[in-house]
Amino acid sequence: MRRRLSFQVKLFLSLVGFSCLLLTLLGSILYHVIDRQIHHDLGQRARVQASQIALMPGLAEKVAARDIFGIAAMIQPLRNQSDASYIVIGDVHENHLYHSASPERLHLPMIGGDNAEVLQGKTIISMRQGGIGVSLRSKAPVLDGNNKVIGIVSVGYLTSYIANINTRQLGQAALYGLLLLCLLFIFSWMFSRNVKKQMFWLEPKEIAMLVRQQKALLDALYEGVFAINAEQQIVLINHTARELLDIRHPENKLLGRPLAEVIRLPSAFFSENDFTSTRSHHDRIMVLNQRQVIVNCVPIALAPGDESGWVFSFRDKNEINTLSSQLSQVTRYADNLRIMRHEQLNWTATLAGLLQMKRYEEAMHYIQSQSADAQSVLDFVSAHITSPALCGLLLGKYVSAREKGIELKLDPACQLTHIPPAISETALMSVIGNLLDNAVDATLQTHQSSPVELYISDRNQELLIEVADQGCGVEDAMKPHIFEQGVTTKLSDNHELAGSDHGLGLYLVAGYVHQAGGSIEISDNQSQGTILSVFIPFSSDASGGEHYESQLAL
Amino acid sequence: MNHNSLFNVLIVEDEPELAALHRDFIEQNFQLRVVGIAGTIEQARTLLNLHQPHLVLLDNYLPDGQGVELIASPWLKSLDCSVIFITAASDMQTCSQAMRNGAFDYIIKPVSFHRLRSSLERFMHLVKTLRHVKVVDQSALDRLYNLPTINTPSSPSTKGIEPTTLGKVQRIFTDGADISWSVEQVVEKVGISKTTCRRYLEYCVEMGFISIEMQYGNIGHPRRLYRKKAAV
Repeated sequence: MRRRLSFQVKLFLSLVGFSCLLLTLLGSILYHVIDRQIHHDLGQRARVQASQIALMPGLAEKVAARDIFGIAAMIQPLRNQSDASYIVIGDVHENHLYHSASPERLHLPMIGGDNAEVLQGKTIISMRQGGIGVSLRSKAPVLDGNNKVIGIVSVGYLTSYIANINTRQLGQAALYGLLLLCLLFIFSWMFSRNVKKQMFWLEPKEIAMLVRQQKALLDALYEGVFAINAEQQIVLINHTARELLDIRHPENKLLGRPLAEVIRLPSAFFSENDFTSTRSHHDRIMVLNQRQVIVNCVPIALAPGDESGWVFSFRDKNEINTLSSQLSQVTRYADNLRIMRHEQLNWTATLAGLLQMKRYEEAMHYIQSQSADAQSVLDFVSAHITSPALCGLLLGKYVSAREKGIELKLDPACQLTHIPPAISETALMSVIGNLLDNAVDATLQTHQSSPVELYISDRNQELLIEVADQGCGVEDAMKPHIFEQGVTTKLSDNHELAGSDHGLGLYLVAGYVHQAGGSIEISDNQSQGTILSVFIPFSSDASGGEHYESQLAL
Repeated sequence: MNHNSLFNVLIVEDEPELAALHRDFIEQNFQLRVVGIAGTIEQARTLLNLHQPHLVLLDNYLPDGQGVELIASPWLKSLDCSVIFITAASDMQTCSQAMRNGAFDYIIKPVSFHRLRSSLERFMHLVKTLRHVKVVDQSALDRLYNLPTINTPSSPSTKGIEPTTLGKVQRIFTDGADISWSVEQVVEKVGISKTTCRRYLEYCVEMGFISIEMQYGNIGHPRRLYRKKAAV
């Protein structure tokens, strides 16, 4: 398998490669500009020299006279001062009269073939192959008194000389370039290293994988999860959370919005300073969007002690309840079986005895008494309550109370044929269910098996639900607060969730009754216990009970 | 015609002796014909399809499943067949499920023939009424399906109402006709429990003898007070 370059090396190499390319491009452009400039400058310099030499007093006469030694004597000092590669004087026939670089060319023809214009009296700059190599040169005519061309002055710079200058300058530039490159190397290395460090030394592919994993993980969770930043804005919310809390917007529309805008929170959610402290919280019961949930909270700290947000995960409380009740049912089931078998044996023995003694009437009576109780409750409930769901609920509560050794007494005058339009069947079930559960729990605390009484009546203008128990009762001081969330009279250690889910039932009841415009009265039962009476008006125009928490008739 | 008044019944019961007993009871006493006895859910399905009975006596615990699941199936509803659901006393939770799924009646084991008789009689009554009354209005239909309510001997309101106690309660209001009474005050005067008192007061309100008035007391908590209605 080919070894892959790490992100850091790749970033470094690409940075270096790209800057090298840039530098080369810049260098070559610079080289061309400088080259052209040098050519232009040298051409001009050659021209000036050529023109000035052509105008030197006495030169014309000497050229006309073909005084080779005179010319040489005249030009040689100039030649020594000039940086030109050569100075050549020629006659009108294009033969050398003087050549500073190679004197052996005297009287030989000038090479290059660019003299035609000069002979017409013009000064030119050209680049030609001359007698001693390629050169940049300027030629000027030597004129006599009649402005007639009698000779040619040629001043030239060999390309080798120009190249020499170029090389020198390029060498310098290269030195600077190298220095720049070194700096670039260092910068690139540090930059890529820094980037990598900020990415926790992870490769981009690994990060992409992590992000995808995180998304998949969050959506696969059966728990609802959401996270907020220090400004209490949502930074993350998973599918389950949206589903559990019945939030219809897609995730991307929720991100960045304040938490309180999206989720209806209990009023004390932030003000308690509970969640915004460094400690994390486990298994707290609260109501989010009217849903009982069990919340865990963990602060996100970029540095220890510096929270920049919180992660909340929560589960539906009902699910937990179902789970734990299923669990306890399984253990109870085995016990029940044992007891039932025992009872069954006794039952058969009794029956056999009665039959053997031919006491048939008694046997009949004995058999029928076994189912009579349950049958009568069943018949009573289905006869007096028309809602099948409520029938089911009452039956369920009756059975579960009986399992705890408490009788649920249904008042003989119970009647429910219609439900107030302001409350849904489900809400009504929650109200009745919670009231009954509370009454049963309160009775259990007294360790006596006094019955719980239920009276439901829809005869008059209001639906009346009255639940009476002879349990532990509610202290007068507690009564105004009993419908607040988290207030409970239950002992906290006799429950599997360590008391954390107490104080919600009546809070929910009050919420539903309030919504339906009804009211709740709480009063003491005779001898001991509590009577809770719920009134829900049938007419929908009834004003919402604003003070439902405190409508107490003591 | 004879076959017109005969209704088909299917018994679903895995205990053969009990099933036979039920069959004998049904066929001796009613114009019902038992078309089959099924010992399992599977058999019940086959026989239901075969005979399309009008009534099923359905036991809950069967070797291959629970009878309550059969009630829930939309397939059974499409057959237009009533169900009398039979379950053990220890299994009343299942009964609530059967209620929700619209069983015609629910009988607790051990089955009392007396109770079974009344259930079958109500069924016969229902079917006959439905046959004769081609067009039924909603209230008639409601009454038919709430037969247990109608079958209770006296009007439901008078349940739990004793004339002597009622007399005592009413006397308080006639004696103090211009006084508004709270529940607590009535309880104290008559000497009954609060829960019982509420029942009597509600009954009196229903009869139009007294009326409820709300008292918005000094703290702002409304209380329910009862007062004698002025004679018309």
